[in-house]
Parts: sequence; C-alpha cells; structure tokens
Amino acid sequence: MKIKRRIGIWLLSAMALILVAFMLLPVVYMLLSSFKSGTEITQNPLGLPASLDFGNYINALSKMNYLRSVLNSIGITLSVTVLVSFIGALAAYPLARRTNRLARALVLLMALGLSTPNFVTITPIYVIFRDIGLLDTYTGLILAFTALNLPLAVFFYTSFIRSIPIELEEAARLDNCSDFRIFWHVIRPLLGPATATLSLFVMLMVWNDFTYPLLLLTDESKFTVMISVYRFVGNHNLSPNDLFPAAVLGSLPLLILFIFFQRRIVSGVTAGAVK
Amino acid sequence: MRTLQRYRIFLFTLPAILVIGAFFVYPILLSLRLSFTDFTGVGIPKDVGWKNYERIFTRSRYLDAFTTTIVFTAMVVVVQTALGLFFAALLHRLPAVRNLCRAALFTPAMMSFVIVGYVWQFIYSPFNGGLNSALAAIGLESLQHNWIGDPNTALIAVAFAHIWMFTGYTTAIFLAGYAAIPSDLEEASRLEGASSWQRFRHIEVPLLAPSFTINVMLSTIGTLKTFELPFIMTRGGPDGATRTLSLHIIDSLFGKYKFGFASALSIVMLILVVLVAYVQNRYLRSRENNT
Repeated sequence: MKIKRRIGIWLLSAMALILVAFMLLPVVYMLLSSFKSGTEITQNPLGLPASLDFGNYINALSKMNYLRSVLNSIGITLSVTVLVSFIGALAAYPLARRTNRLARALVLLMALGLSTPNFVTITPIYVIFRDIGLLDTYTGLILAFTALNLPLAVFFYTSFIRSIPIELEEAARLDNCSDFRIFWHVIRPLLGPATATLSLFVMLMVWNDFTYPLLLLTDESKFTVMISVYRFVGNHNLSPNDLFPAAVLGSLPLLILFIFFQRRIVSGVTAGAVK
Repeated sequence: MRTLQRYRIFLFTLPAILVIGAFFVYPILLSLRLSFTDFTGVGIPKDVGWKNYERIFTRSRYLDAFTTTIVFTAMVVVVQTALGLFFAALLHRLPAVRNLCRAALFTPAMMSFVIVGYVWQFIYSPFNGGLNSALAAIGLESLQHNWIGDPNTALIAVAFAHIWMFTGYTTAIFLAGYAAIPSDLEEASRLEGASSWQRFRHIEVPLLAPSFTINVMLSTIGTLKTFELPFIMTRGGPDGATRTLSLHIIDSLFGKYKFGFASALSIVMLILVVLVAYVQNRYLRSRENNT
C-alpha cells in the first residue's frame, strides 16, 4: 500500500515537472531563437541553434542603447526606492501607532491611491507635467513612479511597524526624545527587511512598466530598458534577429534577480496581494 | 495645547498626503473636469456638456470595445483561476517539487508586457512562428493558422498569452491558501479513507474560498484595465477584434491629444471597474461566509 502510494507520488511529480516545463517553453524558445540567424529561424524554427553565435546580441547591444537605458532604469529605481521608503515609512509610523479618526481617514486616503487604476490618472498627469515642465525629465518619471508605489509602501510599513513592540519606544520616550528622534533612532533601524522586500517590488515595477515612460519620455537618452526594447523591436518590423536578443537582454537582469530572491519575491508579491 | 501635541505626530504623514493629493486626488478631479470638455492640449478647454459620454454610449466602436473587454476578462479570469487551482492542488500534494515548480510557473510574471507581447506575437506569426512550426513538427499542418491575423482567433490568442503570464501568480496565491489549511484536517480525512478527489472537492475547495476571492478580484481588475498586450501584439486589430476600452484611452492620447475624450473614457472605465469589483466582492464574500 505504502509502496503503491510512493510510486503514485513519483508519477505525479514527473507529470507536474513535464507540465511546468511545457509552460516554460516560450522562455526556452526565446533563448534558443536569440542565437539563430535569419535563415536558421526559417529552416530550423524549433531546434537548437547551430552554434552559440552572439552576432545578434552584438548587433542589438549596439543599436538599442542598452547600457544607457539599463543605467537609466537602475538610477530611476534607486531614486524611487529611496523616496518611497522614506516617505512611506514616515507616514506609516503614526498610522501604526494611533487609531483615532484622523488615522482612519488617512488610511482611507491611502486606500484610494492603492485602488485607483492608472489609466484614470495618466491623462491629467500628462497635462499637469506638460504645464509645469516635467515632461521628458527624470524628475517627472521618478515622481510619477513614487506616487504609484507609495500607497502600497504605507500599508506595508504600517503592518510591519505594528509588529515592533511598543516597549522599545517607551524607554526612549522617558528620555524625552522627540517623535522624530524615536522614529529615526528606534524604528528606522528595524525596517531593513521590509525595505528590502519593498525595493524588490519597486524594482520589478520600474523595470517592467512601460506606460509611464512611453507617455512621459521622448528623449531617447532618458529611455528605460522596456521602452528601448519596445522602440527597437517595433522599429524593425519584428525581425526575429532583433526581437529575441532584445527580449533576452530586457528580461535577463530580472530573471537573474529572481533566481536569487525567488522565495522573497513570490511570498512578497502574494503577501502584498493578500493584504 | 495637549490635543495639539497629540496630533503633532501626524506631521509625519504630510509628505505622503502631498504626493497622494498631487498624483491621485487632484488628477481624478481634473479628469472629471476635462471629461466635460473638448480639450486637446492647446488653449482653454471648452465645455461640451455630456457630448463625450454620449459619443461613448452611442458609437458602435465603443460599445464593441466594451464587449471585447468583458469577453477578454471573462476568458482570462475563468481559465487562469482554473489553471492556477489545478497547479496548486497538484503541487500541494508534491512537497518535493513544490517550490521549484512554483518558482518556474512564476517566471513569466517577472517579464514585462513588452517582452511577453513581442515573443508571443512571433510565436503566433504565420511566417515560421513557433506555434505553427510546432504543429507542423507533430504532423498537424491542417491546424496551422494565422492566429492573431484572424479576427476570430485574435482575442483568444492574446488572452492565452495573458493567462500564460499570470498563471504562476494565481498558483502562488492558491498555494498560500493551501498553507493555511490545518494539516490535521487533511490527515484525519485521509485516515478516514477519503480519496484525493474527495479531499479536494469537500475540504480544500471550500477552505480555499478566501483565495478564490483574492484571485478572481485581482485578475478581474487587472484584466479589465489591461491594454498592454493588445497594444503591443495587435494594436487592437485585426478589424478591431482586440480593441479594448483602455486601448481606446491610449489611442486617443497618442498623437491625437484628445484629452477631453480620453478623460471621459477613463471615467467610464473607472465606474465599470468599481462596479464589477463591488458586485464581485459582495458575492464572493457572502460565498465565503456560507461555507
């Protein structure tokens, strides 16, 4: 009986692995095709590439302004992370420690931000940015992404700060520390794990989003990675020799990040959704 | 004085309030205001009353987009939830491969719409695309098709790419729901001789009700407002078969600068999303309480 169950589990595991591998075929297809020449794509669309030819990559790298846009994406991600975590944690502190009417009203305001779909705000944000000269600037894009991530950050930090024992603050309060000093010296040093998960969130969103940069940027030297991929592939009529290396270059950094932080990302994203 | 001091700590929320005010509250109000104008970006917006809204509800192209959005969302939500539940139920029974498979299924969600869109566009391509080549390789040439070039299959093809992208996400949320099921309950039913299917049907599915709620609501709202994959893969074509409401918003912005009309469309969509979310929430929560 027990052996029978064992075999059943083995067979089921094999089936699960095959099904999952099947789901990953498009990713494998993308990787394999990125090394193929134009004629190879025609003659051998599914098989392994004849050789590991990096010609497509060299061509894509030189034409799509890759390094510059990677630097742009990283710079924007870092700025957004710093702003979101500072503003978010600061706002979360009173929301976590007070339960009066004002606190509840502010939670509601954050919930409004969290649940507003971005298509409602993109038109007015475009108009506002145009009027105050923030179109086509890093500052504008960073502010827009900061706003997009802030409500989630506030909720995230609020529940995290609630789990910090209040006794830690009481000692400092007896020493007559101001609220800000307590926040800065007692609370802030404990926020590391929350900030780490949050920054993964921000990185994912900034790297992958293309609505905001598409709408707000026109200067090629300011493009983020996805908008470079979008333009590069779109301008070449979907030629596979451009498409696949660009797709790999566009997703590789995050896929590598995912391999290292897979548990943290999956549980962070699902926890964020469950809240 | 004492009250003032009690509230002083709320100064900490000031930067956040400013950001939310400037990027959510004010834009929503401005959107509402612009939706009653014919603003195209230059000069002073001229009031046109309900004309923009009238246009949305009388022109067939917008009513068609409405239908397309609903059909697209329904396909994605049903198939994605079913697939996610299937994978979660399977992986729950297989602790040895669970983590590996969960991560692998989640991988597409790490990729951008831009990349998923382009890669699937080529997979569907009638010229040496992956899908037709695969069909040929297993001797099913007769099934070869211009998947996103044919109005009859384009929407399904785009929906499939969307489902592929987010099935891992749904699976992960169901697996988190599984983790919350008390293990002694499963053990007891197993000892009483319940089959795997019986446990799934009578213990797991009822106890997973909260995960159902989250998954259905998340994917509904996410899919209702999506424009990315149709924008990249088909530009709404062929023949408007994949033109969703939000794609109309983007199209009225780009190059056309019809800010007034785009605002009216986004207000209509906002009402749609809020309405659907509200009804779903009521229904799914009452279902949770009944089980």
